[in-house]
Amino acid sequence: MNVRSQVAMVFHLDKCIGCHTCSIACKNIWTDRKGTEYMWWNNVETKPGAGFPTQWENQDKYNGGWEVGNGKLKLKSTSKEKTVFNIFHNPHMPTMDDYYEPWTYDYQHLFNAPEGPDQPTARPISMITGELIQIESGPNWDDDLGGSPIYAQNDPNLKGLTPEQQAQLFAVERLVFFYFPRICNHCLNPACVAACPSGALYKRGEDGIVLVDQNRCRGWRACIAACPYKKMFYNWNTGKSEKCILCFPRLEAGQAPACFHSCVGRIRYLGNVLYDASRIEEVAKLPDEELVEGQRSLILDPHDPEVIHEARRNGIHDSVIETAQRSPVYKFVKVWKIALPPHIEYRTLPMLFYVPPMAPVMANRSDDVVNGVSDDLFHDIEQSRVPMKFLANLFGAGHESKVRYALRKQKAVRWYRRALTVGDVEMSTAERMLREADSSPEEAEAIYRLTSLCTFEERFVIPPMHREEAIQMLEDPLEHKQSVGFGFMMAPRRGM
Amino acid sequence: MNCKPLFLFACVVLAASAARGQDAADFFRQNCVSCHTVGGGRLTGPDLKNVTQRQSREWLIEFIMNPQAVINRGDPYAQKLLQEARGVVMPPISGMTRERAEALLALLDAESQLPKSQFVGLQMSDRPFTPNDVALGRAIFLGERPLANGGPACLSCHTVKAVAPLGGGRLGPDLTRVYERLQGRKNLGAWLVAPATPVMATTFKQHALQPEEILPLVAFFEDAARQGGQDDSAARLNFFLLGLGGAALALVAMDAVWRRRFRSVRRALVENARRLAR
Repeated sequence: MNVRSQVAMVFHLDKCIGCHTCSIACKNIWTDRKGTEYMWWNNVETKPGAGFPTQWENQDKYNGGWEVGNGKLKLKSTSKEKTVFNIFHNPHMPTMDDYYEPWTYDYQHLFNAPEGPDQPTARPISMITGELIQIESGPNWDDDLGGSPIYAQNDPNLKGLTPEQQAQLFAVERLVFFYFPRICNHCLNPACVAACPSGALYKRGEDGIVLVDQNRCRGWRACIAACPYKKMFYNWNTGKSEKCILCFPRLEAGQAPACFHSCVGRIRYLGNVLYDASRIEEVAKLPDEELVEGQRSLILDPHDPEVIHEARRNGIHDSVIETAQRSPVYKFVKVWKIALPPHIEYRTLPMLFYVPPMAPVMANRSDDVVNGVSDDLFHDIEQSRVPMKFLANLFGAGHESKVRYALRKQKAVRWYRRALTVGDVEMSTAERMLREADSSPEEAEAIYRLTSLCTFEERFVIPPMHREEAIQMLEDPLEHKQSVGFGFMMAPRRGM
Repeated sequence: MNCKPLFLFACVVLAASAARGQDAADFFRQNCVSCHTVGGGRLTGPDLKNVTQRQSREWLIEFIMNPQAVINRGDPYAQKLLQEARGVVMPPISGMTRERAEALLALLDAESQLPKSQFVGLQMSDRPFTPNDVALGRAIFLGERPLANGGPACLSCHTVKAVAPLGGGRLGPDLTRVYERLQGRKNLGAWLVAPATPVMATTFKQHALQPEEILPLVAFFEDAARQGGQDDSAARLNFFLLGLGGAALALVAMDAVWRRRFRSVRRALVENARRLAR
């Protein structure tokens, strides 16, 4: 056992209202520089939708992530041989058009336009060329054109849905969508790190945050092709790649990352988990249907004395073990099993988990009364407007069982709370549902509290970063003792 | 008891001087024998037998350390030497120091006393060259027949008129008339034993040519010189044009192979949807 600590995340999709406040918070802090205009380290997608960049989930086109061949884990996008041939042109990268051409508006024109019969307008201009442009796509184009035959109907997650189910998704009166906020997953088996020819990418030892060393990055962009979530971005101004840094300067100061902090719907949870680093490769090679369970098995019980002993032996501070014991992520992922990794079939073992959304049930209409409540409780999950298969493609590597489990449990919690507070359903029914969903009233209460009544401190259990220990691994803090006065890195010399 | 330290000291001194003598001989073999002999007659440079009786030690050391400087300052004896060598200036020897020059002069003194010095020069056969020799020399020059000690083929740096379709290397000088330039078989052969110019010396110090390689090479150069002429610029131009054409062809090929490199996933979706709508 090789116990490490990782800052992991949960996004509760049932609570996301798609307001993009997270994206704006991130943009204003990190990517409002020249060269980063098109980057959205945090973006919110509408599902079904093609996403940002367009169809990022279509790995036949982008070749991201890992695959298993001859019992070995291999990157799809690159290898030593492929690097030679693709060194000047990597054929599997999104183009500027797949992201979008960033634009602003010619606001000066509102003031400077010559007097005329019409109101002056601020026309869009490209932030790349400075020319006037026609806006053809944007970072949340699905939001703007939800359900369009061009974008939403080309969602790669529609694979495996019957034509009826697909038609249902886009029928005007039954149209359904949910939001899917995305940041870097800070994966346990990051493809970007493996692909970098310069060794510029690394996963921080103390908390697992994946970072790009801007001094070592040579702009080969192998990471951009390798990341299956397309959360690596190339800064055309500096010629280096950039990515979400999980606001590590904020984390080190004990604050939640900006997108977490600003989240209006409070959908975001953050906390560290202890995991077994020695089994990562073994788990990443499991067949698709075992991946979700495999990744869960990597996450260790922070109350287990043996785990605590091994963690201490690996230099994990007691305070970090303590936060792992209080981690909301551990509860969602490992205890309640209602948070699932996105597209784990890419085998990067993402450490951002999603609680799948409860879509409204299929409404039925009788005598001009639209009835949104079904009598058959358990069939609601199966009959919800978002087909189970669609969610399974997103969160279960195409297999429905884990998604069904998570949704059933959530449903049961809702009915339990309804029986408690509204009282229009039988408590015995609710308890039966809980039992059948592998839950209990105590667990339902805990899920309810962490979902609905959670405080700031409950949502964000930020492990102390102990920078002093990390720094001590690299340099001797007493190096300058007795040789340098304060305020100097070099000893002051006598004289002018 | 008392004489023991003295004895030890004497041993050390003797050993050191013997070592220095051996060192000087090695140095002479590596750097000088291509142009000089001791009692073997002149090659490109003069025979160095009794050289210390012809000039003062001080002058000799100065000349050894920087031949060009002595010639440049118009020294009459140096001018005479230059004339005798038909204008070939002794190259500066890398690693030459005053101590080394003195050691070399001491070595020359000692060698001059011997009835037959170890540096009388390469004893190359006088037999006339056969067409076989020329063909073998050509093969060696072209690298078709690898050098026994693993040195690089001549062609990698040198060329000879019409030796290969695109000419040879351009780093070193054209060797078409080297046979005339170095005045014949004996000088050229001696030169090849231990090439003395800085580039050749570093390349061939570890990979000396064998006598059985030198003879065919000299035959080949003699044949080339007899046919005369010089490497023409046509080959040079051809080479340039071929490179240019090759590069253009490679670019066209890459453009063809990666013609979809600017394809965008989004545009394809949009165009596809529009086509279906029509």
